[in-house]
Amino acid sequence: MRNILRKEMRLSASILSYLFIFFGLMFLLPGYPVLLGAFFVTLGLFQGFQWAREANDIVFSALLPIAKKDIVKGRFLFVCLIEFCALLLMALSIVLRMTVFDSPAYRTNSLMNANFFALSLAFLIFALFNLIFVGGFFKTAYKIGRHFVVFIIVCFSIIFVSEALHHIPGLERLNSFGFDDIPLQLILLLAGIIIFFVITFFSYKKACRDFEILDL
Amino acid sequence: MVVVKVHGLTKKYRDFTLSDVSFTLSSGRITGFVGRNGAGKTTTIKSMLGMVHPDSGSVSYFDMPFAGNEAAIKKRIGYSTGTVSWYPRKKIIDIVDIVKRFYDTWDDEAYRNYLRLFEIDEKKTPRELSEGMKVKLNLALSLAHRSDVLILDEPTSGLDPFSRNELLNIFEELRNRGTTVFFSTHIVSDLEKCADDIIYISKGKIINSMPKSEFTQKYSNAGESLEDTILRLEGGVFNA
Repeated sequence: MRNILRKEMRLSASILSYLFIFFGLMFLLPGYPVLLGAFFVTLGLFQGFQWAREANDIVFSALLPIAKKDIVKGRFLFVCLIEFCALLLMALSIVLRMTVFDSPAYRTNSLMNANFFALSLAFLIFALFNLIFVGGFFKTAYKIGRHFVVFIIVCFSIIFVSEALHHIPGLERLNSFGFDDIPLQLILLLAGIIIFFVITFFSYKKACRDFEILDL
Repeated sequence: MVVVKVHGLTKKYRDFTLSDVSFTLSSGRITGFVGRNGAGKTTTIKSMLGMVHPDSGSVSYFDMPFAGNEAAIKKRIGYSTGTVSWYPRKKIIDIVDIVKRFYDTWDDEAYRNYLRLFEIDEKKTPRELSEGMKVKLNLALSLAHRSDVLILDEPTSGLDPFSRNELLNIFEELRNRGTTVFFSTHIVSDLEKCADDIIYISKGKIINSMPKSEFTQKYSNAGESLEDTILRLEGGVFNA
């Protein structure tokens, strides 16, 4: 498994997939829809899929001494690795905003605060990327445009709804600042993590089934 | 000893059907898989490698069904389907550094010998190689992990006569070491030079699978070359 992941990282990946991880640091920006950072990370991954397709990566992988399902596993592992790196940067940004950045620009932020609820939504966005785009890709191992457009619509809907939620009376606590409402925030984060793993696992299994019967 | 068994492979496309393709490959023999363009050679080979999902039929290697033993079997076989068409802008040395990690039996010395023989500069990228050189690179990769069975789709296409001759000599060397070589071709003179067995496919159906000597004895007229025999047979099938 280490070999297929190494292949993904050194041959299949685009440099943009790595560079766009740093959009996770957008969680530091006050007065900005921070979840766009998660979207930009997926945009970097999309560029990687495009690059790999042009390089005939799937045919190359099919010729390696691995099972077809391992090709799917390698790609999912790589995508999750990039996502976790971005999530780590987002988590660090949240901790900095909780502990260091206390200026009025952060306190009077009219948009969504970068808190653990926001991080759980980033988990959700990545889970849906894995389901719609990565899972969808393995139906043809070639077509990527339509699946990414569907993901963009879903992703921006989530961002829009998320930004609106805390303005609804009774849901203000979703936008807690600093260490306020930490138990609730952590429960929401846990829910996001569980959703991520369940959806990603389901997507991986379905992608394996789709790819197995695909003619290359 | 039978090392590869293909049984009843069938694959239907809109305008082509691979029908009930069955044959066996024996250890330490060179088998030429011959047929005109579009006869079903590549579909058969891709089905043997799990790249095409047949509607029915089965493939087994070393008495193990391919389905369920894909990774273990692929480690013991070498294969190339056409020329190198992947990672055109990556250096060959970087691509090979990844490939060789997948094989426990990778022989770096043999790989370097083939690079020297084929005059391939591994600091180049695939897009800097001619089509013939790409075929040679693919072959070097297929040969470097000392496989028991070598499956090659049109390996001599695009090669100059000297390289083709070199390649056919390599096939003979491999056979002498006990390797089974299975290669598809539409160049009948390749078969004349080195094949022990001939599998002849036309319009998706196996017409014959037998030793070359038996094939010529059965079908060739007096003084007729193998190429003329197959051309005559193809004409007969085509007109049938």
